[in-house]
Amino acid sequence: MSARPRRRLAVAGAGLLLLLVFGCVVPGGYEGTYVGYYEPSGFSHGGWGSGYDVGPWRGGGFPRRRAFVGGSQAFRPAPPGHPMPSIPSRARSPGPARGPRR
Amino acid sequence: MHQSGQQHQLLRRELLAALLLGAGAAPAAAAQLQLPPIIAPPTSQHLVGKVIFQELVTPDLARARQFYGSLLGWTFRDLAAGELAYAEVILGDRAIGGLFQRNMPAGEHRQSAWLTYIAALDTDATVRTALQHGAKLLFGPRSFADRGREAVLADPQGAVFAVLASSSGDPPDLLAEPGEWIWNSLITRDPDTAAGFYQTLFDYEVYPAPTAAGPDHLVLASDGYARASVNPPPAARPDLYPHWLNYVRVDDAASMATRAAALGGRILVPPRPTSRGGAIALAADPLGAPFGLLQWSTTDTTAGAQ
Repeated sequence: MSARPRRRLAVAGAGLLLLLVFGCVVPGGYEGTYVGYYEPSGFSHGGWGSGYDVGPWRGGGFPRRRAFVGGSQAFRPAPPGHPMPSIPSRARSPGPARGPRR
Repeated sequence: MHQSGQQHQLLRRELLAALLLGAGAAPAAAAQLQLPPIIAPPTSQHLVGKVIFQELVTPDLARARQFYGSLLGWTFRDLAAGELAYAEVILGDRAIGGLFQRNMPAGEHRQSAWLTYIAALDTDATVRTALQHGAKLLFGPRSFADRGREAVLADPQGAVFAVLASSSGDPPDLLAEPGEWIWNSLITRDPDTAAGFYQTLFDYEVYPAPTAAGPDHLVLASDGYARASVNPPPAARPDLYPHWLNYVRVDDAASMATRAAALGGRILVPPRPTSRGGAIALAADPLGAPFGLLQWSTTDTTAGAQ
């Protein structure tokens, strides 16, 4: 084998090694070193129309006036007797810090 | 001519060696980044399915610090390892998130984003289940001594989230204070299928939440608390990329949105009353990362059924 093909093989081998070292690089911007995520751009957030609702339900449970009758089998709906819960409402204890200042 | 060729070859070998050395050194430097625990002192509880942490990846850490610090009163504790820069987000006496600097990939059209961490007991098992159900693994699983074992996944529809088995346990279920993360939403093209996927991973109770005026959505709950909503894209944005959104509790969504704009951010959804009392807005920081502002009063008992 002449010198040139051997060099090409060496370069290809080095490239393969680099690929292994950085094998965790995937589309989306993650690195093997640590999470580094960027979302795709080119789309705009917002555009929430009237009635577009993302917030949590406020305490007391969602009345669930109508049963879920969707045909989806994609998930198991919560049992009918379970009212929809809200977010935690218990306030943090006043007084000394709960943890050290870091 | 022959001598010149030898020199050229030597230079190439040296360049190759330097490249390999550099490539090997990068992970080693990264390994020195000591990520802090997500809660101190540690708790003994694990609240599987709870969103326990948020982390921003930004190309301009200084600007992000200035923006969020001025807007929400956050302070920061700097961590660094080599070229990696990380700032722990502190509210009062608690760590509530992190900012991670990473240069924007050259030539890629991407935008900064907050990453949503969901609590798991066993990250590896959760990842295996996720992969069996169509997710893609983007990072890990990897252990960080004080933080725990984490992985980053894209769900089958493409929304990215992280799974973390925290070494220090999970933060207790308490009402978020102003400036703290209070709520989460998954905006995705097929909410039913997405809810099924996350239910498989975290054993959520799934509550259909029909609304009178808008599209129905779902609520994911665990341990007796609502954890996130799952919504279809708004009608005006049918092609919106599936993503998680996180909301900070504020006392006054309108004034905070105005302030966010004054600090260089953008208002994506102007403040609007919610059907459950309070108000909500969607903003983007100066680097484009979207986040919500949720006005949540402990005294407002408005709860009109939809």
